[in-house]
Amino acid sequence: MIIRTPAPRKRRAESEPPEDDNNNNNNTQTPNSNRQQLLIYEDLQAPEYSHGHSTPTTSDQMLCTYQCRQMVKSEFFDALSSAEKQAHDYQSKFKALNEDFSKSESERKKFRDKCFNAEQELSAAKGREQNLQEQLRKEIDFSQEHLRKQIQSFSELEVKFQKEMDLRKKAELTAAKAEDKASVLEEKLSTVSESIVREKSRLQNELVQMRSESKLSLSRISADLEKMEFRAKNAEKESALLKEQLEENKRRMDEFMKEKYEMDKNVSVKSPEASSKDANLLVKHLQEELRNYESEVREARKIKAYHEDIELLKEKLYEEKRRRERAELDLVKLSDLQLNVNTLNDELSIWKSVVKEIPGVLSADDIPSKFAALQREVADSMRRAGEAQACMKEIQVALDTAMLDKQTAETEAALAKEKAESSEAEIKRLELMERDRLQNLVKELKERKNVEGGTELAGGTIVQELESSLAKKENYVRELENSLSEQKEINSRQHNEIKLLNERLTNEARRLKMLERDGDRLRSEISLLESKLGHGDFSSANTKVLRMVNTLAVDNEAKQTIEALQNELQKTKEQLQAVDELKKQSSDAGAHVDSYIAGKIKQLKEQIAKLEKREERYKTVFAERISVFRRACCELFGYKIVMDDHQRSDGIPVTRFTLNSIYALSDDEKLQFDYESGNTNIVVNEYTSQREISRQVDIFIRKMNSIPAFTANLTVESFNKRTLS
Amino acid sequence: MASKSATKDIITLRGSAAIVSEFFGYAANSILYNRGVYPEESFARVKKYGLPMLLTQDEGVKSFISNLTSQLSEWLEEGKLQRMVLVIMGKQTGEVFERWNFSIETDGEVVEKGISREKSDKEIMREIQAIMRQIASSITYLPCLEEPCVFDVLAYTDKDCAVPFTWIESDPKLIDNPQMVKLHSFDTKIHKVDTLVSYKNDEWDEP
Repeated sequence: MIIRTPAPRKRRAESEPPEDDNNNNNNTQTPNSNRQQLLIYEDLQAPEYSHGHSTPTTSDQMLCTYQCRQMVKSEFFDALSSAEKQAHDYQSKFKALNEDFSKSESERKKFRDKCFNAEQELSAAKGREQNLQEQLRKEIDFSQEHLRKQIQSFSELEVKFQKEMDLRKKAELTAAKAEDKASVLEEKLSTVSESIVREKSRLQNELVQMRSESKLSLSRISADLEKMEFRAKNAEKESALLKEQLEENKRRMDEFMKEKYEMDKNVSVKSPEASSKDANLLVKHLQEELRNYESEVREARKIKAYHEDIELLKEKLYEEKRRRERAELDLVKLSDLQLNVNTLNDELSIWKSVVKEIPGVLSADDIPSKFAALQREVADSMRRAGEAQACMKEIQVALDTAMLDKQTAETEAALAKEKAESSEAEIKRLELMERDRLQNLVKELKERKNVEGGTELAGGTIVQELESSLAKKENYVRELENSLSEQKEINSRQHNEIKLLNERLTNEARRLKMLERDGDRLRSEISLLESKLGHGDFSSANTKVLRMVNTLAVDNEAKQTIEALQNELQKTKEQLQAVDELKKQSSDAGAHVDSYIAGKIKQLKEQIAKLEKREERYKTVFAERISVFRRACCELFGYKIVMDDHQRSDGIPVTRFTLNSIYALSDDEKLQFDYESGNTNIVVNEYTSQREISRQVDIFIRKMNSIPAFTANLTVESFNKRTLS
Repeated sequence: MASKSATKDIITLRGSAAIVSEFFGYAANSILYNRGVYPEESFARVKKYGLPMLLTQDEGVKSFISNLTSQLSEWLEEGKLQRMVLVIMGKQTGEVFERWNFSIETDGEVVEKGISREKSDKEIMREIQAIMRQIASSITYLPCLEEPCVFDVLAYTDKDCAVPFTWIESDPKLIDNPQMVKLHSFDTKIHKVDTLVSYKNDEWDEP
């Protein structure tokens, strides 16, 4: 059915194309409006035929239809032209879009190239990073191993160092002990020198005194000796004379006996009265002779007593000689003391030279300061060792931190890797997305192109998305580069730290080597000292060598001699008793006694000679023992005891004991005691009349009646005075 | 001597001095026997330190050594003894052939304060046993003593030590250019004894 469009419809058709030109953008609407405007002409003749009527068409109808057709044609042509224009427009737009698309594709390619470049750079960076990481790992491993070795060696060196420090401490202790010993030695030296000086003076005084005493006693004894010798000579002469007289008497006795015998014979022939008178006369004569003999025997005894006195005097002489020898020995000892003093002086000089050799020491007083300085040095070295240990600990801590940093770097590298991988994945994903989008866009464009599409907006959004993804990639790349640079900085820092640690380790190793050298030196000194000890060397300032008096043989011999002497004493006593009995018997008998007496006298003289020899031997042995006993008493009780026989003013002989204390400061400090029949009395002298001493005498002797307490107290006081001085 | 506690033996100064002086007595006897200073038949066997030890039966030597050890014990208790040396010398010439040196280190703190220490008796015995074995085996390297010898004992004491009247000062009787052999030592924690023998170079050993 034809819908007739009136003239305004034409207006509409005329007005629409400019509207269409103006509304190019509203492409979707114009085809529909055109559609609305385009009418389809359909000839409806068939229906008429269907009715079976045949009516003639008019020309109007024909014209109308022609006009309508023309109108339709014109409208169609208009629409066509407009459509063609639109198509042209669309084509141009499509071209423009295509150009844009190509541009975007080229840009996309560019960006893709850029992406690829970025990816390549990324991969290169990754490769570099991996290489760096590997290098880092290798370096770290190497440095770790190196550090471990260094730490091991350091620990070993530390142990050695501690050992050396212990040795050093021991050496310091020995040095301190040596220092103390040196100081003690110095003190002892001073005391010894003082004591030596004192002893020297005392010994010299003693010597002088003893010399004078010995001279006096020698002169006395020599005078006594001469006297006794004269007496002995006289006694010998008298004894010789007596002997001659004895012999004469014997001869006379024999003659008398013969005469008596003859007289007896004659008397037996003559009267008995005359014989008795003669016998009485003879007996009286014999008795007188006996008395003479007895007197001679008494004189002989006196001579024997004189002999004994002579022997005593000889003994005294001998003692005086021994004293002189002792004085000479003391002189020799003095010389030994002087030698000791010289050796001490030599040692002092040696010490002084040693002191001079010590650098920085001018005198013995500087030694303590030098020791103090050495101790300070040791303390400093200990402190430095402590600091080195602290540094080592710090190095260990730094190592640990480096390890931690390494671990963090590794984790960061792993993270960076992951990030890179994720960025790659994202890039790939983005690329795929972009491709998909672009493909979709292209499809759409194509579809639109086919349909009269226009995809300008989609292309713009795609470009924006590409740009945003590119920006993100760039950001990722920047972040990766930053992390790489940070890693590089960290690695360089760790390198520097490792270098510093290595330097410190080398310094500590050098110090340890020095300490090892010191330790070797000390060990060699110790071995030297040990060899000296083994050789037997010693310091005479603080050591003395003693040996036991070899009593292995002496004791036995002494015992034997004592037993022999005792036996001989008993024998002589028995013999003397026998002689006494014989003398008693000889007073009764006459001639038998004379011959018996003569024989006995001979025997006795022989025995006397033997006994005299034995006595000499006993005296020598007992003198030795007495001297040992005296020395022991002196050392045990602290007093030199001199025993003299003294005669008081009333003529009574008394034994005087003079005691000189070994701690006495002078020779005038002596105590004198008189011993008489079991009683000991103190003799007042200059020393005992001093106030302090007299007070002690009053307390201990007069009040408490104890001389040992007095002497002991005096000994202690003089000892204290001596030691304090 | 040493009183036993639950875990360790307590050693006093007196006990340690007794141990050391007794050791010296047995060591001297062993040296005299092994070096042939006195004839073998004059020695009798006894058990000591877990070993068969030989002691002289000569009364003189016995009394000498007993007096010696008693004096040593006194000096050790005072802390005055530094060294003991047994010297073997020729009877005729008096030349010194051997010096058996026993160095003694005393713990001064024990002497001053009278404190005691702890050490096992068995440990000390073991150490002394080792020294006795070494003395017995010394004949393998010491030169033979060709001539009859006598012995003497020297005591190195502190300078301020009082000299008993049975002792006198002496020279140290050194050997020129000796050979030295260090033996084991033993320690009671109060006294430490180091043993060393120095002997004259044998003619065959001299270059």
